Amino acid sequence: MKRERLEWLALIVLVALLGGGWIVLSRETEADNQPIALTTAPYVGALAPDFTAQTHDGANFTLSDFNANGGTPVVLNFWATWCPPCRVEMPHFEAAAQLYGDDVAVLGVNQAESGATIAAYARNHGLSYPLLVDEEMTINHLYGILNLPTTVFIDANGIVREVLVGTMSRAVLEERIEKLVGQ
Amino acid sequence: MLPFLNLGPLALPTGPLVYLLGVWLALFAVDRAARRLGLDAERHYALATTAVLAGFVGARLVFVLLHWPSYDDNLLGIVWPLTTGYNAAGGALIGAAAAFFYGRWRRLSLWPALDALAPGLLLFLIAVSLADFLGGAGYGSLTSMPWGITVFGVRRHAVQLYEALAGVAALGVWWAATSPRLRGAAGRPFLWAAAVYAGGRLLVDAWRENAALVNGFHVMQVVALGVLLLALGLLARAVWRGGAT
Repeated sequence: MKRERLEWLALIVLVALLGGGWIVLSRETEADNQPIALTTAPYVGALAPDFTAQTHDGANFTLSDFNANGGTPVVLNFWATWCPPCRVEMPHFEAAAQLYGDDVAVLGVNQAESGATIAAYARNHGLSYPLLVDEEMTINHLYGILNLPTTVFIDANGIVREVLVGTMSRAVLEERIEKLVGQ
Repeated sequence: MLPFLNLGPLALPTGPLVYLLGVWLALFAVDRAARRLGLDAERHYALATTAVLAGFVGARLVFVLLHWPSYDDNLLGIVWPLTTGYNAAGGALIGAAAAFFYGRWRRLSLWPALDALAPGLLLFLIAVSLADFLGGAGYGSLTSMPWGITVFGVRRHAVQLYEALAGVAALGVWWAATSPRLRGAAGRPFLWAAAVYAGGRLLVDAWRENAALVNGFHVMQVVALGVLLLALGLLARAVWRGGAT
């Protein structure tokens, strides 16, 4: 019995040591999480990390340009064609882009797919708002995107006002945009 | 990945379908497990059904409460659409609480009930992993290993399938621990299955790309290590007390 007790104790200690060691080894470093230097991360109340990217049809967008030109709030939606919840809410972003026009910039940031894939998806689903290509995951890493869809609401001064993870209904999206435009 | 199943004009989301299949298989497994263990199958099936229903409703209600400003002028949104808008942690807590109180009401013993519930729980967790795999959520880190799968045009660890394998291994252990030859005291099959599954998740979650992190540590790994040590501790305690569990 005593030997059995010792074996159990040794097993538990061994598992704790190996498990703890494995967790430490698996720890993601700062470099893993934020591979881009000079980022401020999309924390509410902080400046939104700036970036320049191209849409699937070749137009260039720089986030800070929206704030420089008189101040336009930006809704940044991270998505992918394979992500069902993203697909659910994309018609809402299209409707919002049409409804609010120049009062707010609605930008989709794709996750790691090619321009051709995005273009085909936009064409098939009648999406006309800018869909940015991020094949190298630069913007996704810059914003620390862990889940799709994620939507970042940025006010006219370039300050992140809200980060929402998960699918939004059209009413929720419009409510958030109204708040953003009113700020 | 297969996020949608295209049947003619219908595009069925595979994730919810796999969840439904997982729930059905889980309930079936609880029924069969209770019979295998010589327990009252009807009561244990009802216990599992209670947990599932309470968990489903609870996950929705917790989500709605946490996002009440988005629902107070759209009450219909609480019940439709059902495809998104759940809080998994809230659902798990409420489901477990409902099962606990139902078990007490029906005077079910804790350890035998956990033994009967274990395969159902594991099958549901396997279904969650497979739904993630088909839907594309919870994807793995980049790899050049030959068993990597192509996601977003690059090779990644199929971490959701690794998770499912951990579940299958735990099911195998549960099956062995409930065999007439190895069957011990009540609670042992559940604890061994929990230990194996937690050990598996501790190992494979290292390759998850979009894990929840605290100071760079994978939260799931820390939870898995805690569950693993707790299960081993309870198994050891039984030995120290002379084989009570």
